[in-house]
Parts: sequence; structure tokens; C-alpha cells
Amino acid sequence: MRRRDALPDPEVDHGLRELEAALAGEPAADPQLTRLVADVRAAAPAPDPRFLASLDARVHAGFPREEDTPRRPSRRAALRARFLRPTLLAPSAAATLVAALVVVGIATSGGGDDRTDRGSASSSAAASSSDEAAKAGRTATMAPGAARDEAAPSTGPGARPAVRTQSAGTTAAAAVPMPTVPSTTPRKVQRAAELTLTPAPADVQDTADGVVRETQAAGGYVQTSSIRTREDGGTASFTLRIPSAKLDDTLASLSKLAHVGSLSQSSTDITAQTASAADRLSDARAERRALLQALGRATTDRQIASLKARLRDNRSEIARRQGALDAQRRRADLATVAVEIDSAGQAAAPKKGDGAWTPRDALHDAGRVLEVAGGVALIALAVLAPLAVLVGLAALAGRAVRRRRRESALDGAR
Amino acid sequence: MELSTSEPTTARFDALYRATASDVFAYVMTLVRDRASAEDVTALTFERAYRRQASFDPGKGSQRAWLFGIARNAALDELRARKRTTALLADPEDPAAASDATADHDDDAAVRRATVRAALAQLSPRERELIALKFHAGLSNVEIAKVLGISAANAGTRVHRAVTRLRKACHAPS
Repeated sequence: MRRRDALPDPEVDHGLRELEAALAGEPAADPQLTRLVADVRAAAPAPDPRFLASLDARVHAGFPREEDTPRRPSRRAALRARFLRPTLLAPSAAATLVAALVVVGIATSGGGDDRTDRGSASSSAAASSSDEAAKAGRTATMAPGAARDEAAPSTGPGARPAVRTQSAGTTAAAAVPMPTVPSTTPRKVQRAAELTLTPAPADVQDTADGVVRETQAAGGYVQTSSIRTREDGGTASFTLRIPSAKLDDTLASLSKLAHVGSLSQSSTDITAQTASAADRLSDARAERRALLQALGRATTDRQIASLKARLRDNRSEIARRQGALDAQRRRADLATVAVEIDSAGQAAAPKKGDGAWTPRDALHDAGRVLEVAGGVALIALAVLAPLAVLVGLAALAGRAVRRRRRESALDGAR
Repeated sequence: MELSTSEPTTARFDALYRATASDVFAYVMTLVRDRASAEDVTALTFERAYRRQASFDPGKGSQRAWLFGIARNAALDELRARKRTTALLADPEDPAAASDATADHDDDAAVRRATVRAALAQLSPRERELIALKFHAGLSNVEIAKVLGISAANAGTRVHRAVTRLRKACHAPS
């Protein structure tokens, strides 16, 4: 079986050689074939001189565009302009845009571990700056129902505790507004705070010393303390009593000692309890005055002895009630601050001074940008590659169809 | 005619145009068989070639074969368009050929040319195209194969077959 593109058979080969010789005008060529070549060439249609002159001019002019309308525009070109580009380029662009948006969305919202990292990062960002932590403390203090309310008129016996919490990674809860019942008694508010510091393992002792130093500087005292240091760090816990008026400044100072892992504050209105203790003391003192008056009026020994015994009991009661009132006042005057120092949290938290943008941060950011860009490119490739294959196949098919149609046009001609 | 690629683009194209204008017209005329259409197609061929000069790759064939490929596509597009619009019941007579025959009626050469024209008219369009590519355009079998998109051997066989038929038609009693 012969292949179509195999060498021609000897007869064809010989005929072609003779033809080539005749076309080349070789003397040895077949004279009959040479004459045929000459006749066919002589019968070749010649272009009209006017047409040639016109074409010459156009060629020399470089086929200017404005004269580019001797024929109607190609139907294929029109189809391509109208349909092919919008239908192929628009979906491609749209798919790329959607892919980019998806990737940007994923990158922005974060996923899986990224979310955790981002959470801790924002937590760090919120708490790492000592100034910010101090500011947070001040903000909490200035919230309604807190220290400001100490000077405000008392809400009366129905006062409720207002608790606010601010910690790293969480926003401060809204303070519960106090009922504004008019009262002449100044309000008493008990304040408390919990602070977690995460210093470097080698800085645990220094941080603990700083806590004590700042407490004493504020006029407070260390109620309890516990410090455990190891080679790889350590922990410490303190219960501090700080004058309520200096709580905010002290928290700001303590926050500067190390990275703040968390900070929370609370305040409880104890006006009612204080007023109650004062009333009970006042009652006891009134009773003493009545007993002393009765003692002055007593005439018998038995009456005198009985009144003296009651006076002794009353003294004890006054002392006890005075102590209770003092305790209430101390609760308002001294805030309780629980400080936890733990170097273990340092590994996950940024080091001190991370507020500055370092080359390492830049490297990390650049890596992240490349990561996102790579993701975008990958998704775009995943979308565009099949599209490109389809376009390629369509182009090939279109080319084949076009070729077949052209050939059929020749077959149909006479 | 192969042109040096070091020449300026306009000069190279001008040389190509001068070397092939008449041949392209003759080839296109053979395909479309209408002088006005042939002129349009010829002009379109050179315009396309001018605008696509950068797409010519010497590694894929000669510039002449490339040009005749463009001419072929343009001519076939013209035939398709003609088929869509008006079906010609008969080919219009070529006035140039008619005047030639009239003027040289007694001339033996003119008679032979008329015989050749008659023989060509008996060939199929594809055979006429092969004759035009071989005799008017002067392409080699390899170049013809490039233009037609077939193998060189197939092109040679087809050319031989077309020439054989033409010779028979010329010698056939009219």
C-alpha cells in the first residue's frame, strides 16, 4: 500500500523532470512540452495597465488605511471583533478577577492556623504596646460608673456593681450604667484589676522587682507574692493593694515592665454596704450616748452595774462596727491588683520593641506578599489554562473548518 | 525571487511586488475567472502581504510561496462570498482574451493560445490552479505543496496529472 506522500512512481518522476526541463527552457527538453509551456504562459491573463498603475500607487503609499476599503470588511474579522473577543476575553478577565478576589478574601480573612496567628498578632498588637495598655486602663477608668462616679452623688442603696473587662484580644465590655438616684452620700467604688505580663525568660526576676518598686512608688503595698525562677524562665504572682486614685497610673507603669499578655479591670459599687456600716456604727454610738445618760440617772447599785455591763458590750459593738466601716472604706480606697508574670507566653508573643518595622518584618511581609501573589497566579492559571486549551482547540477547529470551506469553494467553481 | 532580509522593509516588499504582481494576477484570475474580482483579490493579496510582512518566516518556505498562499486564501474567500451572493450561471468572457484572439486571428501563435485556453477550460478548477501555480507562478513542487497544504510528492503527482490532462485536451479534436 502506497502512502500518499511517498515518492512518485517512475513515470510521474520522468514526466516531472521533462516538465521542469521545459519550464527551464533547456534545449534537451521535449519540444512539444516546451511549446505547451510557452503557449500556456502566453495565454496567461495579463493585468490591466490601469489596474497595475493604481496598485503601484497603493504599494508605494504603503496601503494607507483611509483607502483601505476597496472591498467590504472580512466577515471573519467582523465576527471576531463582535463576538470572539468579548466572549473569550470578558469571561477570562472576569474569571481572573473572581479568582483574585477569592484569594484576596482568603488572605484577608485568614484560615485555619492563620486565623489563630492573626488573633494572637492582634492581641499582641493590642497589648504589646505599654502605652496602649496604659491608655486602655485610662479609658476603662474614665468610663461611666467607675472612678468618676466616686465623686458623683450616690445612687442610694440600690447601687449595682459595674464590671468592665479589658484584655488583650478582646474589647472592653460596656460599663453597666448606674441608676441616678439622688443622694448626699459620696459613692464608694471598689476597683480591681488583673494583669498578666509575659517577659523574656531572663527578665522574670527584673519584672517582679519592677512590680514591687512600682507598687511602693504608688503608695500601695504587696499583699501576697510568689516568685519561682528557673533557668528557662519562671513565674511570679502578686496581689497588690494600690490606692484607687493611683490605679491607672500604676497599671500604666506596670504595663511598661514587660509585654502585656492580658489586662482586665472591674469595679463594684459598694456605696450601699458602706452606708449600711456607717449607719450601724451611728446606731451603736447613739445607744452608747443613751446608756451614758441612763447611767447618770441611775440611783441603785444594781442599775449602775447593769448599765456598765451594757456599756462594755456597746464599746465592743462600736469597735466591731467601726472596723467593718473601715474595711468598707479600705475596699474603696485601695484597689486590688493581681499580677501574673509568666515567661512561657513569651514564645508566642513578640519581643519588646516589636513596634518598629524591622528588616525581618519586611522579609516576612515580602514572603507573605509572594505567597498571596503565588496563590493568585495559581488560581488564575487553574482558571485560564483550561480556557486556553479550549480556545486553542476552538482555533484549530475553526481553522480546519475555514480551510474546508475554502476548498469546497474551489470545488464548486467552474 | 528571494530578497535579502537586510533590506529595508519597504524596498523588499516593493521588489517582491514588482517580481510577482503579474503572476499573482494570472493565478488569481485562473481561480476566480473574473477580471474585476481578480483585480480586487490581487490588490487585497498585496495589501495583506504588506501588513503581514512581519509574520513571514523564511524557515517555513520561500516568500513567493507565502505570497501565493495569501493569494489563494483571498481568492477562495472571494469564491465563497460569490457563492453566498450570486451563483454565476456562466463565466463572464474575458475581454482581454477575446480581443487578443480577434487581433491575432491569423496568427498561428494566437490559434495555439486559443487552443490552450480551451483546453484549460476543460480542466477542473483544481487542475487549472495547479497549472497556474506551475506555469504562471513558476513555483517548485515543494512550494506548491506549501501553498496547497499537501505533501511535496502529492503535489508532484497532481501537477503531473494536470499537465497530462492539459496535453490531452490540447490535442483533442475540437
